[in-house]
Amino acid sequence: MDLRAGDSWGMLACLCTVLWHLPAVPALNRTGDPGPGPSIQKTYDLTRYLEHQLRSLAGTYLNYLGPPFNEPDFNPPRLGAETLPRATVNLEVWRSLNDKLRLTQNYEAYSHLLCYLRGLNRQAATAELRRSLAHFCTSLQGLLGSIAGVMAALGYPLPQPLPGTEPAWAPGPAHSDFLQKMDDFWLLKELQTWLWRSAKDFNRLKKKMQPPAASVTLHLEAHGF
Amino acid sequence: MAFSVALHPAFLLVVLSLKTSRSEVLGEPFQLTPEILTVSTESKLQQVNLQWTVPNLTHQELKMAFQIEISRINTSNIVWVENYSTTVKWNQLLHWNWKSEIPLECVTHFIRIRAMVDDAKYLPQNSWSNWSSWKEVSVQVSVAPNTLLIFPDNKLLEEGSNVTICLLYGQYLYNVSCMLQKEPIHGEQLDSHVSLIKLNNVVFHSVSGTNIHCKAMNATKMIFGTVLFVSKVLEEPKNFSCETQDFKTLKCSWEPGVDTALVWSQQDSQSYTLYESFSGRRELCDHRNSHNWQITDDSQETYNFTLTTENNLRKRSVNLIFNLTHRVHQKAPHDVTLENIDARKANMTWKVLSRGNNYILLCQIELQHEREVIHEHNVSVHMSASYLFSDLEPDTKYKARVRCADANHFWKWSDWAQKEFCTPEAAPSQALDVWRQVRSENGSYVVTLFWKPLLKSQANGKIVSYNIVVENQDRLSESEHYSVPAPALGTQLSLDPCSYKIHITANNSVGVSPESVMVLSNDSGHEEVHEKRIKGTKDGFHISWEPTSGDALGYVVDWCVHSRDQHCDLQWKNLGPNTTSTNITSGAFKPGVRYNFRIFEKSMQQKAQLLEKQTGYTQELAPLENPEVTINNFTSNSFILSWPSYDSDFQSAFIEGYHVYLKSKEMQCHPKGKRMTLPDYWVLCEYEIKDPEQKAFTVENLRPESHYEFLVTPYTSAGQGPNETFTKVMTPDENSNMLLKIILPMTLCVLLIIIACYWKSQWVKEKCYPDIPNPYKSSILSLIKSKKNAHLIMNVKDCIPDVLEVINKVEGPKTQCIVSGNPHNEDVSMKPPSSVPTEDGSSGSVPFFFFENFTYDQSAFDSGSHGLIPGPLKDTPCQLGLLTPPEKLLNVLEKDYMKSLAESPTEETSLIYVSQLASPMGGDKDSLATNPPMPGHCSEYKMQMAVPGRLPSLALSENNSLTSEILLGQGEQ
Repeated sequence: MDLRAGDSWGMLACLCTVLWHLPAVPALNRTGDPGPGPSIQKTYDLTRYLEHQLRSLAGTYLNYLGPPFNEPDFNPPRLGAETLPRATVNLEVWRSLNDKLRLTQNYEAYSHLLCYLRGLNRQAATAELRRSLAHFCTSLQGLLGSIAGVMAALGYPLPQPLPGTEPAWAPGPAHSDFLQKMDDFWLLKELQTWLWRSAKDFNRLKKKMQPPAASVTLHLEAHGF
Repeated sequence: MAFSVALHPAFLLVVLSLKTSRSEVLGEPFQLTPEILTVSTESKLQQVNLQWTVPNLTHQELKMAFQIEISRINTSNIVWVENYSTTVKWNQLLHWNWKSEIPLECVTHFIRIRAMVDDAKYLPQNSWSNWSSWKEVSVQVSVAPNTLLIFPDNKLLEEGSNVTICLLYGQYLYNVSCMLQKEPIHGEQLDSHVSLIKLNNVVFHSVSGTNIHCKAMNATKMIFGTVLFVSKVLEEPKNFSCETQDFKTLKCSWEPGVDTALVWSQQDSQSYTLYESFSGRRELCDHRNSHNWQITDDSQETYNFTLTTENNLRKRSVNLIFNLTHRVHQKAPHDVTLENIDARKANMTWKVLSRGNNYILLCQIELQHEREVIHEHNVSVHMSASYLFSDLEPDTKYKARVRCADANHFWKWSDWAQKEFCTPEAAPSQALDVWRQVRSENGSYVVTLFWKPLLKSQANGKIVSYNIVVENQDRLSESEHYSVPAPALGTQLSLDPCSYKIHITANNSVGVSPESVMVLSNDSGHEEVHEKRIKGTKDGFHISWEPTSGDALGYVVDWCVHSRDQHCDLQWKNLGPNTTSTNITSGAFKPGVRYNFRIFEKSMQQKAQLLEKQTGYTQELAPLENPEVTINNFTSNSFILSWPSYDSDFQSAFIEGYHVYLKSKEMQCHPKGKRMTLPDYWVLCEYEIKDPEQKAFTVENLRPESHYEFLVTPYTSAGQGPNETFTKVMTPDENSNMLLKIILPMTLCVLLIIIACYWKSQWVKEKCYPDIPNPYKSSILSLIKSKKNAHLIMNVKDCIPDVLEVINKVEGPKTQCIVSGNPHNEDVSMKPPSSVPTEDGSSGSVPFFFFENFTYDQSAFDSGSHGLIPGPLKDTPCQLGLLTPPEKLLNVLEKDYMKSLAESPTEETSLIYVSQLASPMGGDKDSLATNPPMPGHCSEYKMQMAVPGRLPSLALSENNSLTSEILLGQGEQ
């Protein structure tokens, strides 16, 4: 490699410029508050982990319910699961959600889903299935705490459950067990959809909360080349 | 007419009242029509409950029979008729129920009842009462449009039972298909809105139930379903028993069978309950397969247990009645010890838990060796006991164990209590089985002693060494002692040729075994006996012999397992005195291997005398190889084939003879041979040699200068040797021998002469035809010398030429010269060099022309270096480029120079070819030696230079490259 004296001076000048700008890069400025960014990232990571965990749990549980619930093309209408929080939403509506509403919807959904999920545990026949469900419930509880943490960091209050709206897992005596199985199917399906949605929500939130200093870093990198 | 109509009912009433009063008075049967009060349903159980009374019943109690009829869909379709007998009290409400196989939601049922008095107190009545009116039974459900209702829902049933599923279609729904898990199921259409699916012998799929799900063709997205909870059949507990160890707790156990639990709160695992009838206690069992029942009443001896298992569908019970003292499972004995253990016996003691002075236990004692029971004994025990194990083996590990049970009411053995022990060693009990092999070597005996290891039961411990005492029988005072450490199974002794008595014993840490004695006589190992051939079988050999003396102590048969190997692995078999035959079997015997057996007779003095030798094969095989044949006395019409003998131990069978095959074209076979014609006019002659000892065969009547092929192969009872390639020979010419006798000496003589001539060639040359007569060497010189006139012979150097005579005149000042060009380039440029360096550094103005001589000069190439080529001077008066090493070069140059002087080819050419060495620097060869040509570019071609005859000369330039130079005039020099 052929380096000449002129090039060395140029590189030194570039290095000096970088060093001059370093204090302006927030990631390196340890004295300031990191903000909600890291906790949003953690929440995002947790949703991805839960997605993975749910995949194996759902497979086992649906096999336990038996056909047709474990068939890949089984897609029943959402009849008896009206009380489950619905994850699907119009794209425009989703885009127009503000951060507070977005987080509140997530929090409320997982609060309900967790409660329903604990009901599943009572139905499980095998110890292994019960263990898997309990483990997933613990993880989901963690996600709920994580969302609460993000909301607190952004200064949003936690939604208070309205009296009488607490979801209860109490199928009436006349309730068909087949419909009950259908509800379980939908619970797992909604849970999966919610985890997908949450991943998108937190990814969006993460980008939004990203400090503008990142652009300075990129600028410097461009200079470097 | 009107009168009669009005009179008729009145008449009937009178008749009836009369009849009733007469019946009551006479005690005759009478008719009572029941009246249905309510008909209710239990939808989940698919059950119809009927309540009725018997009005007009005047008796306090009356035994009555009722007949109930049930019809489905319409009253004429009767599906069930049942008779029900009971004692009816006055004003009593009667109940009866019926389970429908079809869910009640799906079809309407009708029910009616009639009665008959069936009391012994009254005359038997043959006629039923009138039927009550039909009552409709239905469960009202409304089916919304586009909806399907499936009944029963969440049905719990037992595996193997039958169930009817009913589908109720809502409006606009048609073409419904249903599946049971993954299997399609089909039903029968009852009417336009109802269809029934009958499932027989349902099977258990999962604890989460069996799903039945349906889809309508016009509403494919909609899924309708129900779950059948099929429970496994509750099994009766098996092997139910109770026992006590301490009279405080009864431990009851059983095999529970399959778990019939189902999820979704349908059915828990079956429960187990113990009920004891004498105490009236009932306890829910804490485990599925056992329960500890506390004995609260010490005085209770008999127990009557009922074990009941129950689930939502079924209940099963087993009963057990026993006396407590008969169900005592004794605890394992304790304090088991082994005392006074010696090599042959040991004493075991133990204690048991006793329940009083009269309580006797039966104990079972076992002695095990290597997990095998070798001794078993039962003893009666009160509190403690001991048992002596005898006939034990020394140096052996044993396991002693004991278990006990109630001697009076045997129920079950206790667990084993055990102890391991090891007996000490004892002296070996058996003499060694010994044998020997004797051979002579350098005038002394080499005796190899062999012995077989003692069995464990004979060794009585670990054998440490073997002691050998050799007693010289001729000199009794001499005896030698040897000790061979175990595990050796033999040793070799070198003994003088005398008689010996050899004693061999085995030692362990405790003592010595009885001795084994062998006597060797002077002639041991030298016995010569006839060898007999025997025929073995695949299992082995049958050996038999003739005894020579009547007082033999026994016989020994020995043989080598590996007769072909160095390591013989001698085996022997000791046989009794009255034996004259034996079977030798071994897994080591192989087909095609010769085994040699020797039979010895042992005398009373322990001396072994060789009786017989027998040899044979378990299976004879064809020879594996042919002998190596040599040809002797090879003449033009005969030769002798000879071959060596085989080593008998390496024969795969007894060789019975040889086959000699001779093959040639158009050959006549000897009359003793067998002739066979082969393709292409070849003839094969086969000769058989029946004597296996004959190892030569003469082939005669051959034609000179003819090709013959032969093969010699041995044959045995199993066939002949391998078909190898024939050896080819060609008979010589008849005169060839004669010629050989003459030519060979002549050639030798000529060779000798040539060698002698070559050796003395220099001498001969100098004497006969020297190149240049050397006046100094001339014989005449001696005469001159004698006259002491040294200047008689003129020295050339001292001469100054006055005139240079031009012999041949060339037209034009042309000079031909070959200059070394690129040595590897055959297309040597015809362009002359622009300047040619001369000796004084100036370029010569004489024009050159070049040509090439493509003659390949091997000597130059072979020399491996550049040099001048000593080619013929007539062609190469001027050469450049090729160099030879200086030392070679000198010789070569000298010769060439001399040659050039001698052979001046002036007659043939207009040019004078001048040797490079005819340099103006000096005419003598000494000056040349001081200026050897330096190596230049290598060339494989001879380069020639032609110089105008007028001024031929060459010189070496200063930079050692060869350069041609024209000398303008010798005079200037």
